Amino acid sequence: MPSRPVPVQWEMSTDERFRRVVRRGTAVASPELAHAVHPHVDGLQPGREYFYRFKAGSEVSPVGRTKTLPARGELAESFAFATASCQAWYHGHFSAYRHMAAEELDAVFFVGDYIYEYGITDANLWRQGATVTPEHAVEIETLEQYRLRYALFKSDPHLQAVHALAPWIVTWDDHEVQNNYGADGSRYGVSPEHFVHLRAVGYRAFYENLPLSLSTLPDGPDAALYRRFDAGSLARFNILDTRQYRDAPPVDTDDQYDEQRTMLGPDQEQWLYDGLTSSPATWNVCVNGVTVTAITEDRTDQWDGYPAARQRLIGAMQQSSNPVVLTGDIHRHVAAELKADFADPSSETVGVELICSSIASDGDGAPTDGYTPDWTQHPYVKLYDGRRGYVHCRMTPEELTSQFKIVQWIRADADAPLETVARFVTPAGGPGLEKEG
Amino acid sequence: MSVTTSASNVPPITGLQGEGELAGIVLDWTPVPWETVVDHYAVYGARDADDVAVEPDTLLTKTVYPHFEHRGLGGASERWVYRVVTVDAASTRSRPSDPVTVSSRESVTVSGSPLAVVGEFDGKGLELALSPAGYAQYNATFPDGVDFRYGTDDVGTGWSYLQPGPADSWAGRRDHLFRLRFELEAAPSDDVDLALWLIDSHASIPGSAVLTVNGTEVDRLVFEGGATKGSTQGDSTVPGSPLKPSYIEYPLTSGLFIAGENTLELFKDDGSWIAYDAIGVFARST
Repeated sequence: MPSRPVPVQWEMSTDERFRRVVRRGTAVASPELAHAVHPHVDGLQPGREYFYRFKAGSEVSPVGRTKTLPARGELAESFAFATASCQAWYHGHFSAYRHMAAEELDAVFFVGDYIYEYGITDANLWRQGATVTPEHAVEIETLEQYRLRYALFKSDPHLQAVHALAPWIVTWDDHEVQNNYGADGSRYGVSPEHFVHLRAVGYRAFYENLPLSLSTLPDGPDAALYRRFDAGSLARFNILDTRQYRDAPPVDTDDQYDEQRTMLGPDQEQWLYDGLTSSPATWNVCVNGVTVTAITEDRTDQWDGYPAARQRLIGAMQQSSNPVVLTGDIHRHVAAELKADFADPSSETVGVELICSSIASDGDGAPTDGYTPDWTQHPYVKLYDGRRGYVHCRMTPEELTSQFKIVQWIRADADAPLETVARFVTPAGGPGLEKEG
Repeated sequence: MSVTTSASNVPPITGLQGEGELAGIVLDWTPVPWETVVDHYAVYGARDADDVAVEPDTLLTKTVYPHFEHRGLGGASERWVYRVVTVDAASTRSRPSDPVTVSSRESVTVSGSPLAVVGEFDGKGLELALSPAGYAQYNATFPDGVDFRYGTDDVGTGWSYLQPGPADSWAGRRDHLFRLRFELEAAPSDDVDLALWLIDSHASIPGSAVLTVNGTEVDRLVFEGGATKGSTQGDSTVPGSPLKPSYIEYPLTSGLFIAGENTLELFKDDGSWIAYDAIGVFARST
């Protein structure tokens, strides 16, 4: 693109052929934002389907479909969505997205690791038939490198198809900046004073490349990512940021169990608890980067590293209606029941956590692996599967149905068929996972 | 010397300063305020020059940090002049910063004469055993650590690229002894120098090691935090390498050494691993 502003016309229609255009406008694609546009469209009807497209010069974009949320107070009959995470493009084909594109969805929740910062070399380029230019061989650091990485990942046609299928509601995990970072802390020897500069470009590229409102535009190294969406009175979705405000990894056991430790930071924590406890919704969802369920003490990048904060979260969930946590990060499908006291598996089940496997990270995977016993040792963990895939959920006023979907391979090609490895029902008012089939 | 300039509202950085180190020069500067969304800082440099032209041939790196470690300069002292250009999110460039001239420090690997050397002091550990990523074979290959005889043993099989520490579960969560044996025809008349160059180390717990010469405990060497990448990458001189090399050069009194076989030991009983570039003992030039 030339380094100058480019006007972009956009249209919103109720039909796919744009015979009934209900809104149109012009956005300026500026080089400061890598020629990304984020038009905010007001005045649409709630709970209905729309189609959109862009025009720039003589170019017309493909048509995208979106759907507005149900109106405030309306108890929708159902709300269907998929969750996805961890799309290491170089580890394999986005077969899972090929199948997700055939689903009927009201939304897609992306729970982190949209890109990876690592250099792409022969050692990790497992996607057969793919090649990359030498610019990708180094770990990314500059804004132009982050932008190039998003461009590479978004070149996948199946990912593009899912973006065009439904509205995406996104949060980040660590790899949008650097592996296992927390707040201004790097695990790789970058001082906090310097690390914030990396965070600034990582957050900037995330904003530019994903459907986010202007309120999320970073201010230097800071970005207000946590936010809330209500699907009528059926569901409330709390989109969490589990990276920007977390305390550093614990230095010892006393530190790990310190009552003051925080994963969300005090402001986000209070905002979340207020939103959970005052919610009118039947289902109250936390869209979250890292595993909440207690697994092992040494998984300190997860909520296991923040046990006091987790207990506070569980306490707020106990004052909420039908809490659900949607998570990614671990490249495994896991379904777990959230316990009032994880040390006592017979304690009350407060809610459920549905962890989606990766779209591509770690290649083909297998049903079980070396980490399986860590997870399945707990009676509250009801599913573990190490293959690639996504989770499909349908919420109704009566129940939440979650289906864990996998493909058997991704390295060779994108042709693997879709399988459902587990299907759970969670009744409204009866937290837990009832396995079907 | 002409310096390319461009008219723009992008501010240049200020406060460019440098410090010469062994095999490298460290630059720091004051970043531009957050109001300018920075894509990167472009660092330009020229050796043995009065100024540096801002042009593709002199571009040393693009970095998002207000900091650049110019590595891989080798053991000889080198004099460099630098300028930095701010590049914003729209790829608009600032005028170049004021220049700064810095010289790296000379290493004993250049000023001295080698008495015993393992590996090349070149920013790479690739010539060492198990490099660049064979740490999983360490326990099977070096169950009792390293016992290397200079002049006889092969660095490609005899000296592990990583020296683990007790924090490393993959190496048995135990202490690890690396021993270098070498012959001297006569005891040195002057003090000698140890050169211990690392291509990387663990970022948060590089730890320390006890240095012993011929049974005499000399000191505890404390290592700088690296980037925790040297366990899988062996070349810190590759453009864009995330590795963080560090260097220890340590004087050893002549009385520690004897005619005949000498032993120098590093006993890693603290922290996690270090990744070797090379290690050697050097006589001082007369």
